[in-house]
Formats: sequence, C-alpha cells, structure tokens
Amino acid sequence: MRVLIIEDDKDVASFTQKGLAQAGWNVDWAENGKDGLFLATTEKYDALVVDRMLPGVDGLTVIRTLRASNIATPALVLSALGEVDDRVNGLRAGGDDYLVKPFAFSELFARLEALIRRAGAAGAPADTVLQVADLRMDLLRREVRRGERTVDLQPREFQLLEFLMRHAGQVVTRTMLLEGVWDYHFDPQTNVIDVHISRLRAKIDKGFDRPLLHTVRGAGYRLDG
Amino acid sequence: MRLPALFRTSVFQLTLIYMALFGASVVALSVFIYWSTVGFLERQTNEVIDAETTGLREQWERRRLVGLVDVIRDRVSRPDQERSVYLLVDAGLRPHAGNLSHWPQEFDQSVDYVEFVYTGADGNEVPVRASIIRVGQGFLLLVGREIRELVQLNEMFRRAAIWGVGLTMALALIGGVLVGLSAQQRTAQLNRTTREIIAGDLSKRVPLSGSRDEHEELALNVNAMLDQIENLLAGLRHVGDSIAHDLRGPLTRLRSRLETLTAEAEPSRANIEECLAQADALLDTFNALLRIARVESGAYRRAFAEVDLSRIVSDVCDLYRAAAEDAQLRMTCDCAEHGLVFGDRELLAQAMTNLLDNAIKYTPAGGRIAVHLWKTDQRVRVTVADSGPGIPAADRERVLARFERLDQARSKPGNGLGLALVRAVALQHDGKLTLADNAPGLAVTLDLPLSTRAKP
Repeated sequence: MRVLIIEDDKDVASFTQKGLAQAGWNVDWAENGKDGLFLATTEKYDALVVDRMLPGVDGLTVIRTLRASNIATPALVLSALGEVDDRVNGLRAGGDDYLVKPFAFSELFARLEALIRRAGAAGAPADTVLQVADLRMDLLRREVRRGERTVDLQPREFQLLEFLMRHAGQVVTRTMLLEGVWDYHFDPQTNVIDVHISRLRAKIDKGFDRPLLHTVRGAGYRLDG
Repeated sequence: MRLPALFRTSVFQLTLIYMALFGASVVALSVFIYWSTVGFLERQTNEVIDAETTGLREQWERRRLVGLVDVIRDRVSRPDQERSVYLLVDAGLRPHAGNLSHWPQEFDQSVDYVEFVYTGADGNEVPVRASIIRVGQGFLLLVGREIRELVQLNEMFRRAAIWGVGLTMALALIGGVLVGLSAQQRTAQLNRTTREIIAGDLSKRVPLSGSRDEHEELALNVNAMLDQIENLLAGLRHVGDSIAHDLRGPLTRLRSRLETLTAEAEPSRANIEECLAQADALLDTFNALLRIARVESGAYRRAFAEVDLSRIVSDVCDLYRAAAEDAQLRMTCDCAEHGLVFGDRELLAQAMTNLLDNAIKYTPAGGRIAVHLWKTDQRVRVTVADSGPGIPAADRERVLARFERLDQARSKPGNGLGLALVRAVALQHDGKLTLADNAPGLAVTLDLPLSTRAKP
C-alpha cells in the first residue's frame, strides 16, 4: 500500500508514518498543501491522509482540487477538535472519511484499510452473498448460515454482521461500527458496542471450533476466516 | 463639587424646562385675568367718562358757558355723583365750575385719558382718571372718575402675579433640586458600586431603597446581572480547579507508571497498555470538556435541522438494550409518538446516550429502566426513569455541573461530565433538564420545544 500524508504537524506525521511503515506500507509525507497537491497529482497512491489546517493551500482545497482533476484517490481528512460542521464540510469537499485529532493509530489504520478496500470494490457489482470461511450471508433472503446451521439474527445484529463481513480481515473500531451500523458519529464511551459484539459472537461462534470474530486489543474487532 | 454635578443631571435639566413652561403659563394666565378684570373696569370707567363728556359737550352746544356751568354745578352737588370729578377752566386755567379747586397739572394733550392724583379738601389723595376736551374759545373741560378701586385692584393684581410667578418658579426650582439630588444620589450609588466592581470587588451590590421605581428596577437588574456574572466566574473558577484536581491525579499516576517502565529492561505489554488506557481516559475527559464548551458556545446551532426525537430515542434504546440486559436490568422504551424538534441529531443522541449510560451504571441488577417519550401541544419530553438509588433533592442541581459527582458515585467509572453535557445540550435546544424522584430511583426528563416548523 502506498499512502501520502499531507500534514504540517511533524509529530503527528512521523507517528503516523512510523505506524504505517511498520505495517509494511509505503509512506510519503508532504509538509504543506502545495507539495501535497503536487505529489498527489503526479504520483499514484492508494490513499491520502490530509490534515484540514495546512499552511498555504488548506486540506479541503487540496481534496477539492484533486476531485476537480478527476483524481479519486480515497482521502481521510484529519482535523483538530474544532468546528462543528467539519465532518460535513470535509465529506462535502470530497473527503471519504474523517478523523478528529488526537486519534489512536489503530483507528486511523482501520479507517485507511476500510477506505482502500472500499475504493477497490467501487464499480464492482454489488454482492448479494457475503462469505467469510464457512459463514455465509445471503443479503437478498436476509439469511445467515454458518456451515450447515442457520444463524438467527435480529435486524441490528444482521447489519452489524454485514458490516463486519464487508470489512472481513480488517480491524473495525467501535467508532466505525457506531457509524456504519447506527449512523451516529460520536465516540461510544462505554461498552455498548462490545455487548452487541459479544451477542453476535455467541450466535456465530458458539459451538464451533474456530472462532471467526476476534477482539483486537486496544483497537476493535476483526472478522477473519 | 456637588452643585455642578446636580446641574448636569437630566432630571434637573428637565425640571428647568418645566419651570420655564410653568412660568410662561402662569404669566399667560395672569395676563388674561388682568385683561378680563382690571381691563374691564378700566374700559367701563372710560365709557362712563365718555358718556359724561358727550353730555356736557351737548350742553355747551345748546346753552354755551352758562348752561355748562349750571349742569356741572348741578352734577357736583348731587350726592350720588361723588365719585365723578369735573373742572371747567378758562385759558388762564382759572376754575369756573367743578369739584376740583385747581387745575391739577400740565397734561400731555395727545392721549385720550390722563391719570393724576388729586388731594381733596379732606386731605386724602385720590387717584383720578379723566378726559380733557376743549370747549369754546380757550376753555378746557376735565371730566373724570375717581379710580381708587381700580388702582387698588391693579396693585393687588400686580402683587398676586409677582407672587404667583415667583412661587411657581421657586417651587419648581426646589422640586428640581430635590428630585435631581435624589436621582443623582441613586445614580451616584450605582456608579460607585460599578466602579468598585470594576476595581475588582465582585461581591459589591447596588444598595436597594425598597421603593418600586425605575431606579430600584435598574438596581435589581444590575444586581441580578452581577449575581449571574459572579456565578459564571465561580463556575469558571470551579471548572478550572476541578480540571486541575481531576486531571492531576491521573496524570501523576500515568507519569509514575511511565517512570517505572523506563526502569524496566523489557517493559511489559500490559503495563504499556495500561498507560495508554490512562492517557485515553484523560483525553476522553478533555474531549468531553471541549464538547460541553462547544455546545455552550452555540456553535452547533448553525447546523440545527428538524429531527425526529422519537427516532433518536429509539435508536439509542436499541443501542443500549443489550447492555441493559447484560446488567440484568429490564429496559422498556415507549417512544411511539413522533416528536419533531429543531436541533442536532448527534448531540441529542449523545445526550440520550449519557442518560442511559448513567441509568445502567447506577441501577443495581434486577432493576428496571423506563424510557418514555410524550408530547404536549408545544413540547416533547423524554424521561429516563430508573429504580436505582436516585439523587437526594438537595444534590439534584449540583450534579448537573461539571465534575460534580455524588460521593457514592465516585467508585463507578466516569468523569462527572455526562449530565453537564446533557444539560448543555438541553439548553442549546431551548429546553431544560430536570431531575426528579422516581420513588425509588431517579427520573431524568429532557424537555424540548417541538419544532415550530413542523408541517401539519
């Protein structure tokens, strides 16, 4: 994976760069909007991490300019906790996801992975069946089976599992789940998401030798075959 | 200097204007009364004199000097004519007939009526108004009336007018000074208090007089404003202290833990994660504080839109139902009615989240939580009622403030900012947050105005 970070805060940039490099990703770093725009238009990246507030050309302008030149590289917007409509503005400018600083690296990584996956899947025919190992979800018949056994799910559990299956193999954070399944964008303070996960886990993993739904400590969950 | 300050007061200036107006109206009134009383008498006197003069001139026409002298003598001798004055003199001013012993003085010939004072036989001075005509060759006839009453009345009137105007002016001036002084005193008090406050003593208050006038109202309002400011400042100070207090502990622990880690050759993963968790908790507290501050700043209001509160409530209930069941609580959610409010979906959801979070956290296993949404004409209310320990009435207001927690609650996780955020959200939506006794337990009600943009 090749990622461009456009960020003027050296600490945030190097911390992000280090983390992504550890995961084996290739990371370029631009310190201002102008250089970032130049790199993003001339090089090929799988994703961009763009800080909103940049000296010179600001982050949203960078993304808007890229989108205007038909460059659809998925972009994750970073912003300090500040303005209210940041998220809306960020997404409207052509950003694909949004993260408020300070953030945990695991959250950034999970979101980047999801972004890149989504961009790769774009244009492909919509799946009607999702499959992870022997777990199979039929979206048309709204039916879930593990092996030979039918798994009976509540509507919300179905949505939760669908989200996890669409991000199979990736870490999905609690915030991502709240956004993806409940469509709320705040930080779930307590273990509410965990409770839903453990119920889902009881339904899909109980009685099977190989668990599919894993907890990733300090980050979130991963559905893996 | 007290006097110049008094002259500068608006009340005093107003009094001066009124004084001028009153003075002018008293003068106008006096002139009218003078014209209609003294003037009337004067005109009447003139008419009598004119009638006499005409009659006597006729006598002259008919019977010349002899006839005129006869008539004058006859008139003078009549007892009822004593207030009339006659004198006929020849060119040498020698009297020929009349009740004056001599020609009183040299007269201005151009005026119609003359006035003079004549000393009678009894020595009394008598004011007289008279008309002088020429008759025949060199004869002058003076026909007049005593005008003692007229002169007295005139004098009385003049005095009355002077006194009247003078008294009016004096009273207005005294009134103006008194009113101005009291107004100046009141404003001086207000100014003194505000200056003291500017100088730094926020506990000062404008003294109240106990009356119900506009000064008192102003003083009450200023005092209320000062109370509010003092409360806000106290709140700020409290928040500052609390932040320092609530964050110093965890920061110190984090620091010492990190210090221990540096001493270890191979820091254990668990220890590092513990440090991370502590840092996260600190960040959470900061974020919650910032969020409350942002909500209170009104920044969210710009993005307000019409949202269905019942939808939000049911979403949050859905999110929390599993957690409630895990905590062995029976949770019901009765929010079938649609309640459109003008607000921010995320904020309202967050507020509901905090309420349910609290309910689950503080209600012992086996209890119940009832979420109920209902509507009145203009408002929609959501109550989260639990069967937990509740909050004593005396503490209900307190726990809405930042970092305020009941002592019993300190053992539970939390930063003491949950209800503060809910209240900030309620206030930003022009609503309110009330805590009540659920006997047993706590009933928290979020009371919001229904959106006025709602379609019928």
